[in-house]
Amino acid sequence: MSAVTPLLKNQFFSHGTYECNDMPATRRFLVDFLGLDIIRPLKEAQYMWKGGPWSVVCVCVQDGEPKVQAPQNHFKLSVGSAAEVDAAHAAALAHKDEYGIKEIRDVETVDGQRSFKLWDLNNTWWEISTINQSYYDEIFAKGDARH
Amino acid sequence: MNVQVEPGATSPYVKTQSLICGTLVTTDIKRSRRMYEEAFDMECVEPEKGLMFVREKGHRPGEANYGKPYWVLEVREVADIEVPQEMLNHWGFEAPNQAAVDEAYAQLTAKKAEYGITRVQKPFFRNGSYAIYATDKDSNWWEFEYRTPDLIYTALREKGDQFAD
Repeated sequence: MSAVTPLLKNQFFSHGTYECNDMPATRRFLVDFLGLDIIRPLKEAQYMWKGGPWSVVCVCVQDGEPKVQAPQNHFKLSVGSAAEVDAAHAAALAHKDEYGIKEIRDVETVDGQRSFKLWDLNNTWWEISTINQSYYDEIFAKGDARH
Repeated sequence: MNVQVEPGATSPYVKTQSLICGTLVTTDIKRSRRMYEEAFDMECVEPEKGLMFVREKGHRPGEANYGKPYWVLEVREVADIEVPQEMLNHWGFEAPNQAAVDEAYAQLTAKKAEYGITRVQKPFFRNGSYAIYATDKDSNWWEFEYRTPDLIYTALREKGDQFAD
């Protein structure tokens, strides 16, 4: 940990961003499939969130396709159990065409955490996972690993 | 795109409890960590080689935000940036006031080379916010913005939809 005075008076990590080009279809995917909360405060943008004060701003790019993202850049959703990951995976396979889901990766278990990734109608990757805040609490409490 | 979806599913298919994390990449995790800690005032931990988690400060036991939810950035070190990011793929921090945005602009501009920051845009007003954007050597975009209390993200949730399709 550095003792340097930070350059930003950063109060809070407030938001990330996500592109779409079909607001209604995107909203149905985010709300009805992924279970996120959402509002539309601007004509060109919807704000989504779940479980915390930060938001992800969904910006409508009307003149083309949303940027094609790779799995390197994705959002992670926490669900309550491995069974819910499996159920979400089954639902993704069953409703793939309905929600414009383009790719669904296999479920995997790594270090006891079960998850899978899907590539959505807006070319963004999502990971549905059993990882939760307790998992991160423990890692931050342990501190850096030696490597 | 023309997706046909029947609206109004009564219960979502994914039982999401939290939108908990965003992932991004860097070609130099050491450089990246200096930026998060010394420039952005975030807390970092590296649980394994090539992997770093970043969160806002204040969530350790005994600190002000202990027990409250927090967002995590998961940063992985890679050989190459597969998909360079753009302005509409940014991450944002909240500033306490307009002066803090101006100060951040001055500080980041003066010390950008030290922290691998490649560009800092001048402060601007848009949609009720006053903000700057900065980009780093990994093509990640960062926004530092001040919003009046009625326009902060959580306040807007209370107002609900302002526009319909």
